[in-house]
Amino acid sequence: MFDKIEIFRLANSLAVHSANRQSVIAQNIANSDTPGYRAKDTESFSDNYKNSDSSVLRTTRQTHLTSDAARNTAAKLLDAGGESSPNGNNVSLELEMVKATEVRHQHDLALSVYSSSLNIIRTSLGRGR
Amino acid sequence: MSDLFNTLQLSASGMRAQANRIRHVSENIANADTPGYHRKTISFESELQAGKMTGAVQSGQIELDQRELSKIFDPGHPMADETGHYDGSNVDLVVEIADAREAQRSYEANLKMFDQARQMSKSLLELLRR
Repeated sequence: MFDKIEIFRLANSLAVHSANRQSVIAQNIANSDTPGYRAKDTESFSDNYKNSDSSVLRTTRQTHLTSDAARNTAAKLLDAGGESSPNGNNVSLELEMVKATEVRHQHDLALSVYSSSLNIIRTSLGRGR
Repeated sequence: MSDLFNTLQLSASGMRAQANRIRHVSENIANADTPGYHRKTISFESELQAGKMTGAVQSGQIELDQRELSKIFDPGHPMADETGHYDGSNVDLVVEIADAREAQRSYEANLKMFDQARQMSKSLLELLRR
């Protein structure tokens, strides 16, 4: 029921996106000493959200076909670029740490938006906090 | 949620590989004075499962450093040749310490990612607790 409300959908996508990006960052860091490994990154949330929005067919009835999987399309992987070391690896631990902090903020933001929206709905139902 | 568990596994694989690396570094340092010892080096490679990249890292085969062994002058040594030299090891302590530092730094980075993923899944579960 709640995932039909836009703000919950937005918060949900943001949380999914940040978890996904966290996984990519962890992969980069785990491979920070693997020869020839190229750092990866996901596309930004706004791009991902816009793209996933337009690619999903509008559903106006319960019986219309929809796929939740298509809505939260896994973000495309991009090459993060950057200077490569002599062994062909271009992971920069510092850069990855910055990205990890960003992801952390994004995830916290998504959860806060979700829970405070939930509170608003609860209040409107007369239950209070 | 599965992404976060995947993150935990990836970080754990990184920590495992770095721990393995530092184990070999300590082995090299312990044998720095062993006659005829070649230092062991370890390389990292991407883990494959059923031909597909999992994104995790694993340590590859151990190789011996083929650099020339150091010659140590000690005519009284039982292994000394006619010039009074015997083969030492080719371990360079400075290189080993630098390698250990690098391994430690990477290990900590992996640990930080592990911890962050753990906290993220924890705060996600907090939502259920009302």
